[in-house]
Amino acid sequence: MPPDIEAPKLPAILIASDGRHIVNAPPGLDAGVLVRDTDLAALVHRVNSDCPPQAVDIDTVAGLGSDDLAVEFVTGRLGIRIVLTRRPQLAAHAAARGHLGLVHVFAYDSTGMARSLESHPRTERVGSVLSPGLVILHLRLDELASVPRPRIAYGLIDELDEAEACMELADAIVVRPTLAARLAARLVTA
Amino acid sequence: MSYSPPQPQEFIARVAAEPCCAAITADERIEAALASRAPVLFILRGNGLTLGHLVRRIHAANKLVAVHVDLVGGLRADRASINWLAGAGVDAVISSHGQLMAAIRHDGMTAIHRLLLGRRSQLDTAIAAIGRSAPNIIEILPGVILPSVIGLMPRFEVPVLAGGFVRTEAEVQAVLAAGALGVTTSSQALWGTDAA
Repeated sequence: MPPDIEAPKLPAILIASDGRHIVNAPPGLDAGVLVRDTDLAALVHRVNSDCPPQAVDIDTVAGLGSDDLAVEFVTGRLGIRIVLTRRPQLAAHAAARGHLGLVHVFAYDSTGMARSLESHPRTERVGSVLSPGLVILHLRLDELASVPRPRIAYGLIDELDEAEACMELADAIVVRPTLAARLAARLVTA
Repeated sequence: MSYSPPQPQEFIARVAAEPCCAAITADERIEAALASRAPVLFILRGNGLTLGHLVRRIHAANKLVAVHVDLVGGLRADRASINWLAGAGVDAVISSHGQLMAAIRHDGMTAIHRLLLGRRSQLDTAIAAIGRSAPNIIEILPGVILPSVIGLMPRFEVPVLAGGFVRTEAEVQAVLAAGALGVTTSSQALWGTDAA
């Protein structure tokens, strides 16, 4: 059971950042920053800036280990409470400490997706990162239902219409800063 | 007399003539695939050590056989397993390991490099790997999103197959319109029958 602390709020949009540049969520958008493809020093630097990230793809941080200590450092010392990882046990460890763990579910084909889901912990506060996110538009309802929530669609969502369609099916999507800005602009004009 | 696989150009021509290839993920699908119009059976599961009988049956049905060396059981994806598959009479080998493409070609089979589309930031690395491996064919997964992402990719010098979540005739047509040579699909209805 997770400790008696509130689960972190998952923004509807996670803006992908390499942690080396300032990325702010556009005003009016339910968005946060996901740091990925970075290194440990850049991650720590970004946490101490005025735009700290809400989520991290822990497997893509050079210099950071792939063990419980790394999860505890990220969630405790750095205060990033949403952890994406391809390792189910790390996601479960984050969840057990009261945070949100998100396991990558690789959806390159239906057989591979089913196999990827076999190792999902399916416990409280452990959701899923559907990769590539764009494929969510092509899943059958039973396939979608088999993916534990919250579901994040991550990867190759590059167009405005695709992003909006993915948002209908996912609890959150990951986009680049330029697309986040376009989503915000559309929200303003809507 | 030992079997000689077709040249890659012939393999490609067979797919071009009948673009829906059968992706075999369970033994019970083999009979349907043999009876279908699918020109190639892509073996994605099963025992890679006991393929000889199956390969002969596929050839007897006037079809070609491609084996995914990373996915079948009993084999390690390395030079020796490629040689093993060549000895079994396999026509093409699929792998995500670019370094195996030269070995596959050397053994006279068609080399298919599988490209997994995950994130845009990974694409450049994957595409560079394909440039180095020089396969005869690229298989892109998940193929169903190929029409949406084709603009993110360079113009490849070899044909592209699309596999993964391609389940309807409309999706097949969209993928072909995006430039794919053919599709690999486990959806039996798309394999076609001579009566269709």
